[in-house]
Amino acid sequence: MALTRRGFVQSAGIGAAGAFAHAWIGARGRENALWSAVEPTLQAVESGLIVLASNENPLGPGVRVFNAVKAAFGEGGRAPGRYSNAGRDLIDAIAKKQGVKPENVVLGCGSTQILRSATQLFTAKDKPLVGTIPTYEECAGYAEIIGHPVRSIALDPDFKIDLDKFADAAKGAGLVFLCNPNNPTATYVGARATREYFARVNRESPETTILIDEAYFDYVTDPDHDTHIPIAVENPRIIVARTFSKAYGMAGLRMGYAIGHKDTIKKMADWDGGTGTGSLNVLALHAGIAAIQQDASFTAGERARNQAVRDFTINWFAERGMKATDSQANFMFVNIGRPAKEFRDACRKKGIAVARDFPPFEKTHCRLSFGTMDEMKKAVAVFGEVLGKKAAAA
Amino acid sequence: MSVSRRGFLRGTVLPFSGTVIAARGMEASQADGAQERTGRSLVPPGVTEIRISSNENPLGPGKAVLDAIVGKFPEAGRYPFNSTPNDSALTAAIASKFKIKPQNVVLGGGSQEILKNAVRAFTTPLRGLVTGAPSFENCPGVAKKLGHPIKEIKVDSMFRLDLESMVDAAKGAGLIFLNNPNNPTATVLGAKVVADFVSRVRQSSPETVVLIDEAYHDYVTDPSYESAIPMALDTPNVFVTRTFSKAYGMAGMRVGYAIGRAETIKPLEKLKMPYNISVFSVAAAMAALGDAKHIEAERERNTKVRAFTIKALDEFGCKAADSQANFLFVDVGRPAKAFRDACAKQGVVVGRDFPPFEKTHVRISIGTMDEMQKAAGVFRTVLRPVSTSAGPGIEEASWR
Repeated sequence: MALTRRGFVQSAGIGAAGAFAHAWIGARGRENALWSAVEPTLQAVESGLIVLASNENPLGPGVRVFNAVKAAFGEGGRAPGRYSNAGRDLIDAIAKKQGVKPENVVLGCGSTQILRSATQLFTAKDKPLVGTIPTYEECAGYAEIIGHPVRSIALDPDFKIDLDKFADAAKGAGLVFLCNPNNPTATYVGARATREYFARVNRESPETTILIDEAYFDYVTDPDHDTHIPIAVENPRIIVARTFSKAYGMAGLRMGYAIGHKDTIKKMADWDGGTGTGSLNVLALHAGIAAIQQDASFTAGERARNQAVRDFTINWFAERGMKATDSQANFMFVNIGRPAKEFRDACRKKGIAVARDFPPFEKTHCRLSFGTMDEMKKAVAVFGEVLGKKAAAA
Repeated sequence: MSVSRRGFLRGTVLPFSGTVIAARGMEASQADGAQERTGRSLVPPGVTEIRISSNENPLGPGKAVLDAIVGKFPEAGRYPFNSTPNDSALTAAIASKFKIKPQNVVLGGGSQEILKNAVRAFTTPLRGLVTGAPSFENCPGVAKKLGHPIKEIKVDSMFRLDLESMVDAAKGAGLIFLNNPNNPTATVLGAKVVADFVSRVRQSSPETVVLIDEAYHDYVTDPSYESAIPMALDTPNVFVTRTFSKAYGMAGMRVGYAIGRAETIKPLEKLKMPYNISVFSVAAAMAALGDAKHIEAERERNTKVRAFTIKALDEFGCKAADSQANFLFVDVGRPAKAFRDACAKQGVVVGRDFPPFEKTHVRISIGTMDEMQKAAGVFRTVLRPVSTSAGPGIEEASWR
């Protein structure tokens, strides 16, 4: 614990210098500008803790993946000593699953690497990144590191992405980061509206690239749901990011990928490590192959499990007058009517870790990831105790 | 070649950078392995492959590490900052090994991430990279992509990095890459020589950052060698990189790190990809750090097999540079490509071309004793007739 905290202070010190370079960063506050470094301390490790803070699949990847990992040890357990070629096989497996060609796929160390490469390649000092506020912070955080400007657009009253405003903001931008479903608000904009958005941005700002992050794709239950992969492979200005960290339950293994037009993918691969595999470990490569080769029942099962937990949790809050946004993911964004920090700290003392602050809603809203049903039943008991009390410090 | 070319185009996304990748080979481009494919495609079906091309530990990581990985299966779904212990515990464990503070350590997805980020952080279009020729190609590969200038200083007649010339070249440079022992020549520089070099650079070009890559540290047997880590902790603008990919036998797990003064490595910390070390790799590296005997045994094993291989090649009339690593740089008196292709046909895959010595020298990694005995038999048959036809492959030679 002491070490973790020291590590945190150290990291925070490093990033802080640039933290106020952009208005958005300033608005997000120092903590969120540096969230990658900060997140560890919010849910510092201890066993027995129920972690509802990072939008993970609480069940992990399943037995097929573990068998693949063990098989990847090779004869005498020697294989981890070798550099691996399995990235090619994973690219082939992803291409087959998604109905694209291998040239349309680049791997990343989580989608983190994908988001960073896109930000590096498609933004510039005079070509800003456009994102919503709040959204997943990786692109903005990296833009800040490399000194590229960030333009941030408020969500609509339902906490959804306001595509009209978002299209206006895209004019002259280098890269639009469109996280759909959006983290942390869990809301989703339909496939048709999103396609119209692409067309409008392509027309009004033809040099702008759109990165659509479908990290939570497998959790969506909205009927107007579709992937944008088919568009991305045809359109050099559209990239889809995917990850094995969410429904596939492999956040610890670090594997993600992008799908796009072959020229765009080529650029991304060339920027960071050949096929993008420089940081990809051999076990994750084999795990990814096994995961993606499973039939659709794996993600369907996880979606159904999540949906039941989601309904249970959202209803629990609703019955107590606390409204959540329309969650289409494995987490919810809920108005608890008090600062997230206060709620978080109180829950943490009772063995439940919930998420960091998400300005500008940190005074009222909290993001909760869905654990197992069993975990959520325990968690709501704690939430009841915590929220039942009048906030002493308020 | 056309077959492997096709394989290359089919399997990946980047004929774009194909030249660089083909030249850099496996441990340079990590897992891309275009060169490996080239070699493998020449290994006839049914012939057992002996892979001595990427300076890997042929025995892998050992039981303690594998057990640690299996022990982490329940946390595969957790981000590395949520695992128990989490990724910062690895930083702490490395710090504790060297009796330093966590802020003196930056983790990388293999040391390649650190090398890449060092070029991004410390070189500019005006302040370039200084490196050996030949040396590990990762840094110049990145500098080339960025369009930052590169000065490559040819090694001396003993195949050691030519520090005298590198000091001169370093004036106004952004970054010096000093690989000690040097890949691919396997030679090492003594502690005094390195310290003297650093202090001269500090005097003549104080803004220049010196990266001392000690990837092969654990294999050195020359008593004049010492790690530059203590110096890096005392000296601004100097840092050392280490990796779990070599003696630790974890090339596939992608863990490396940088050590230096906090203010020196700050830009590397800033560019580091968040939670880039997998939960399995964190557990594996921590277990490996706790298993010092494994490293001791690996050094002994390597020293023995290295001596055997040097002697065998010497008997075939081929002299190796003084090896202080788990590979040899050998004068085979013919183009590396001809030697490589001929060996591959008999199942032995050796290293890529290393200009400017690709016409005469080949890099051979040290496998197990059994593998090297078999490989020596193959070398004998290959070295007997002198090949005259094949020149160096176009891709391999062209990128510099």
